[in-house]
Amino acid sequence: MKTQSSGGLSRRAFVLGTTAGLAVSAMGAGRARAQSVPAAINEIPNGATFRWIDSGDQKAVFYKKFFADYAKDRGIEVVYDALPWNEIAQVVPLGVRNNSAHDVFALPQNVNPADAVAQGWVQPYDDFIPNIAEWKAGFPAGAFLPGINEFDGKTYGLPFTSNKRYGTHLLYNKAYMEAAGFDPEDKPLSWSDFREAAKKITEAGQGRYFGFIIGGNQLGRWSQTVRNMGRMAGASAGGDSVIEADIDFRTGDYVFDSDQYIAAIELLIAMQSDGSVFPGIMSMNAPQARAFMPQGAAGMILQGPWNIGGWEGQNPEFDFGVSSGPVPDEGPTGKLTIGQGALAPNTMWLFKGSDLGPIAGDIFHYLGTVEGQTAWANIVGAGDPPIFPEALDGADMSHRSKAILQHFNEVIRVGPNPVVGNSELGKVIGAFQAPEVNFARTVQGLVAGELTGVAQEMKALKDRYNTALDAAFAKAKADGAAVDRADLVFSNWNPDEDFGAADY
Amino acid sequence: MFETLHRYRYHYLMLLPGLILGGMFVFYPIFAACYYALHDWSGFNSDKVFVGFGNFVKLFSDPIFWDAFRRSLIFLLGTVPLQMTISLVLAVLLNNQLLKMSTWFRTMIFLPVVTPVAVIGIIWTFLLSPFNGPVNGLLLDLGIITRPVDFLGSTDTVMPSVIGVYVWKWLGITMIYWLAALQTVPDDVYDSAKLDRCRGAKLVWYIVLPIVLPFAVAITLISAVGALNVFPLIMSMTNGGPFFASEVMEIFIYRTAFATGDGSIPRLGYAAAAGVFFGFVVLSLTIGQAIATRRARAGAKEIRS
Repeated sequence: MKTQSSGGLSRRAFVLGTTAGLAVSAMGAGRARAQSVPAAINEIPNGATFRWIDSGDQKAVFYKKFFADYAKDRGIEVVYDALPWNEIAQVVPLGVRNNSAHDVFALPQNVNPADAVAQGWVQPYDDFIPNIAEWKAGFPAGAFLPGINEFDGKTYGLPFTSNKRYGTHLLYNKAYMEAAGFDPEDKPLSWSDFREAAKKITEAGQGRYFGFIIGGNQLGRWSQTVRNMGRMAGASAGGDSVIEADIDFRTGDYVFDSDQYIAAIELLIAMQSDGSVFPGIMSMNAPQARAFMPQGAAGMILQGPWNIGGWEGQNPEFDFGVSSGPVPDEGPTGKLTIGQGALAPNTMWLFKGSDLGPIAGDIFHYLGTVEGQTAWANIVGAGDPPIFPEALDGADMSHRSKAILQHFNEVIRVGPNPVVGNSELGKVIGAFQAPEVNFARTVQGLVAGELTGVAQEMKALKDRYNTALDAAFAKAKADGAAVDRADLVFSNWNPDEDFGAADY
Repeated sequence: MFETLHRYRYHYLMLLPGLILGGMFVFYPIFAACYYALHDWSGFNSDKVFVGFGNFVKLFSDPIFWDAFRRSLIFLLGTVPLQMTISLVLAVLLNNQLLKMSTWFRTMIFLPVVTPVAVIGIIWTFLLSPFNGPVNGLLLDLGIITRPVDFLGSTDTVMPSVIGVYVWKWLGITMIYWLAALQTVPDDVYDSAKLDRCRGAKLVWYIVLPIVLPFAVAITLISAVGALNVFPLIMSMTNGGPFFASEVMEIFIYRTAFATGDGSIPRLGYAAAAGVFFGFVVLSLTIGQAIATRRARAGAKEIRS
């Protein structure tokens, strides 16, 4: 590692640097810190313009600082674009089609890696990291998986953040919650407590603030909320990808019409009927909804750990707590399941048309070292946890970030990843066309009152998904893939335990 | 023919930039859309399968497509008459040179027209918000409502709300069209009407309106086509929601083409088929109104003579 100033260090510079460093580190997690730039592992083309795109949030805080330092050190320009997922879904495919894509990009959420490789969107980066096998060995087991980020023995995706998190835990206004008589840090709110707390906070707010807020215009919030509440209530759905997120791996059946999912939706509808949900949720997206929290306009939100660093950095006066998402009244009866591997949306890919592989390899390499991972953890914290567990141990994080990471460890288990079992399932994912009235829209429609009869709607939804899944399997088979719906069944899966490589 | 080409070569040369730009940004996309409409293609990969009219067959049996189509028509019927009537009244009033501050009023009414649509959409989202939104505040203060109305979040109120914002936004341009039309009425017609003691509403109804009728048809056409192009306003205000309640054709096409945010794969071919169909509807509307304009113009000539 070398520091940015490659020349000799004067005493004055040392004193100034040390003082600045101490001041910055005192700011704590989620704030900008002095970063060092690692020594280059490749020859960097002088004056190049290197472009990188991802979904931003707390990641942007790290990258904006790191890339500024990196560009200065290497004598290049780095353009970093942070865009919401719906814009990535347009910008990246159009860029690939026009051969003007960013050098490194996050894949749109509706493009599966196998397709991206097969269609020539991305290139392997093995040649851009010397001794790549040794470097890969430094990652925790399961970070590199054939069919996920490795294809034909080549390395394509950079899996540098952990999958061990969920995006619907409780974040709450401490003063409001205390006044309502609940302490979620001491004991997670039960579903009844959650409803009661929302009601009491709303009553106390007298129109100035409300109990619960959700970005109801952003469809994914509805599906994630119900899915995670259902899973923690024992619905035993597993997986991450679009085809199996709501499938019980023990049976291979969808769980949309399970008692747990239905109860979770009914709870949201009941809270809406109580009048304890923030008015206007259906016309606001998730960032708009979460922005109301530090303003004191809502008492609770079910969101992700990426808010912690943001609020601590930008709204230091906002006193908020973090805890588990609501659990059933009888206590948590299920675990949250994640697929084996890294966090897919944060996995970064090298554009096939890029001739700046040496720069990408240089950056990828750093992000896959303990130093890079620790620098990442120091800034991004629990929002997008690093994939190296040891980076978390040494990271400077707030107590909230530590608390939520501990909670993730308690409630999250690694489930089977069907693509690891049969990599040809990637073709099914690629062929899967979700019903137009999909899970998220159905929940939105039910809460908005446009649809009625939760049980009937969820049964109809299950039928639609089964039809769509059967069609995707049929198409994949017609295209020559050796796949079967039985590939989604793992009868030896215990949702309470991690599913390891030996269990496939 | 070559002789004619040679003789007018500079004329053709002058046409070239327009033809090239038109070809790139108008004709090519039209042909490309027609071509894609005949394929099952996500737009992402090279698996482009020719399906003939398969996309159209699917489209015509897709209730969500027809709902979006119906909403586009509702939007058209909800906005155009309102826009035409209100702007005509305003234009007749502001056409009176004796009216004090008429220029100021014209400018104020025109101001939303030059404001970017996305800005208008975002500002109105705040104005209509049920939480601290001034519109709800006013209605509550006046005692018209007892609890805030979720204008954009309720399936019952979202379309009327977006229609209202659209009419407000584009009122100014329609008013300017009307003003231009009104200024074509010759002074001697007014003078003759005055001699016949025809004033006020009678003058407008029996003299002015028949003369400006051909313009009315043209203005209706422009407004109608405009009302079918509401993508940025609806995207910035509701994203087509809640639960499809404001999903008009353009939003349907966009959602199907890009499948943003819901995890499903895009269907560019299917979206192109919807776009082609919608294009034909707009085209037939245009042709119908062109015929109506011709007839109205013939009628107006009779009145003038």
